[in-house]
Amino acid sequence: MLIETRQLAKEYRVGDHLVHALRGVSLGIQAGEFVTIVGPSGSGKSTFMHILGCLDRPTSGQYLMNGRDVSTLPVDELARVRNGMLGFVFQGFNLLARTSAVENVELPLLYTSTGVVEASERRRRALAALEAVGLTDRAEHHPNQLSGGQQQRVAIARALVTQPSVLLADEPTGNLDTATSHEVMQIFQQLRAERGLTIVVITHERDIAAYGSRTIDFRDGQVVSDVHHDQTLAAASPR
Amino acid sequence: MIRRWLRHPLVNLALKALVRNRLQTGLTLLGMTIGVATVLTMMAVGAGAQQSIEQQVRAAGLNQLTVRAGNWKPKADDSGEAVAHGDARETLTLPVPDLMPPVPDAAFDAMPADNPEGLSGSVRPSRFHPEDDPMEKHDHPLARQRLGDLEAGLGSAATLSFADAQAIAELPGVQYVAGGLHENARVYAGSKRWFTRMHGTDVGMPSIKRGWTISRGRFFTRREQDDAAQVIVIGQIVADKLFGEGQDAVGQTLTLWNQPFTIVGVMTSATWVVQPAPGDDQFDAVYMPFTTTHRLLNLSKLNDITITAESSGAVTELARAITTLLRQRHGIGDNQPDDFTVLTQATRALTTGGLPPSVARAVAGNVAELEKVTLEQLSITLERASRTMTWLLAAVAAVSLIVGGIGIMNITLLSVTERTREIGLRMAVGARPSDVMRQFLVEAVAISLAGGLAGIIVGIAAALIVSRTLQWATVIAPGSVLLAFGVAGAVGIFFGWYPARRAAQLDPIVALRRE
Repeated sequence: MLIETRQLAKEYRVGDHLVHALRGVSLGIQAGEFVTIVGPSGSGKSTFMHILGCLDRPTSGQYLMNGRDVSTLPVDELARVRNGMLGFVFQGFNLLARTSAVENVELPLLYTSTGVVEASERRRRALAALEAVGLTDRAEHHPNQLSGGQQQRVAIARALVTQPSVLLADEPTGNLDTATSHEVMQIFQQLRAERGLTIVVITHERDIAAYGSRTIDFRDGQVVSDVHHDQTLAAASPR
Repeated sequence: MIRRWLRHPLVNLALKALVRNRLQTGLTLLGMTIGVATVLTMMAVGAGAQQSIEQQVRAAGLNQLTVRAGNWKPKADDSGEAVAHGDARETLTLPVPDLMPPVPDAAFDAMPADNPEGLSGSVRPSRFHPEDDPMEKHDHPLARQRLGDLEAGLGSAATLSFADAQAIAELPGVQYVAGGLHENARVYAGSKRWFTRMHGTDVGMPSIKRGWTISRGRFFTRREQDDAAQVIVIGQIVADKLFGEGQDAVGQTLTLWNQPFTIVGVMTSATWVVQPAPGDDQFDAVYMPFTTTHRLLNLSKLNDITITAESSGAVTELARAITTLLRQRHGIGDNQPDDFTVLTQATRALTTGGLPPSVARAVAGNVAELEKVTLEQLSITLERASRTMTWLLAAVAAVSLIVGGIGIMNITLLSVTERTREIGLRMAVGARPSDVMRQFLVEAVAISLAGGLAGIIVGIAAALIVSRTLQWATVIAPGSVLLAFGVAGAVGIFFGWYPARRAAQLDPIVALRRE
């Protein structure tokens, strides 16, 4: 089991109210799965994603990654895990403005566990990641010279550049039109097929969720359904 | 450590970020530049003031002493007789002149009668008239009496030699030494004539007299002094009287003691404080090499030796050293009085400053103590005051440095706020809080150091402009430049710390959601 959560709970305070964002979520995700998470806003899916992404810690419960409890790791160790194990793709792309695509992709290589990767090696790996998303010819373009779909592909390349085992995407198609959304989802599928990446995507669009091999439905901080539909969209089987 | 930082891409990133916000960076840089430049300029002005105070102390002659031949003072009573009072410091310590022991004392009377130099200052009748044998060297007070100087004979025992002057020059703490002879003289040029003071002096005199400046021509040279050439430098008043105001006297000939002298230079006051005036003995005077005077008047001694000390605080000490040296050189026994008088500026002010003679004499007895107060204390006080002023100026300037630092804090905070999402992203892809902190600290320090460099350039330029336009002395010490640069870096770290820490403590989730 690559990812396992045990009775994950998260509470936080908004003014006088205690918000229960997660109420005991226990899940396991195998390596190579393509999980889509759906649910209305406030259902706790983003909180779940943040905990999976080591950006947040659960109030109670355990989060095991490769059998190691990462929920109690110190801040700097969490940063290491994010850098080496996880790749993030956001709804708003979050590319640095006035910075070329290849430099954006290089960014995680400044913070690796072995320190800063040497400049030439950074560039080589960033170009390789851009090639994987089909943007080699846009390497020197700045974000404002790229379409939304291209920007999201740059962001995916950035998530890939440290060769993580898990890709986490929070509404990656939220800012894209339908055609581009499907393009992006196809890239995810392709990456899963070629590299055996584990992919977790949050979405509220059913047709996007259908790209996953498994769909988890969140409501009020709990999992209400967990459906494997590998047979329907298993264009490529995981290694 | 520093080198690793410089090669670090985070430094590169910080610099890029600064270039991206050109306007804000520029304005902050300007604030820092002004701060550093102000500090540097103020320190330069302060140090300049300190230096010019020291120079003025020197120009005022506080570091000057004069050794005069003879040891004679006018007597307090109205008899008109001159009396010797020997070593004033030992005999005249009480402020009640009427109770003074009678002088001359036994020690003086015990002096060997066959010592012509020791006795020549006395008003006792000379055993021979100096003009009996015109070929003889006659260093005699009456030589001056003959020339019509009423003061002559009171203190002009000719006991000082050029060799004495050379020996004094060897003493530690001595800056310049010049021997001199002084006479009154009639000078003629064409049909004009003028009665003035004539000084036989040393080529080194212009270095001692900081109040002098050569307005036309030059001072006489060492070679002319060695050759006892008949060259002369005339004071402004003499030039005006003989040749008319505004006329160039250089190259003209002047007659003195029936000898032709070539005028090589005209000398006037270097400062508006002292204006040349008839009878002032400085600018109403003519100057020739003392060797020339020696040759013309058939003399071999000096009337006085003027000495400047390297530091004005050491004058009293130097006066003592000179006394010891000259007593030794002149072979004066322990209980014999000096045959010379060492005068410092304070002694001179006291003895010529219009004090009643009785009081002056009493004070003169304590002059060694008094000098300590007037000279050393004065110069020390002045130095202390100017140092205080320097620090005061620097402190005022430091305020502008703090303002510059607040500017840096402001832009770094702005940068943190503006780039909250970027910080969130960097954290998401693996940046640790310390990485984020370092990035913003580097930004702040980069601005402050760049501002520091610019400030040093502007500060030096400003100091130069101040000294050109306002005629204020400024001194830019290498130390203060280094200090300014170091302080700039420190300001960057100090004022960058808080914003950088704020950035490092951001919650990545909150940061990523920020618009």
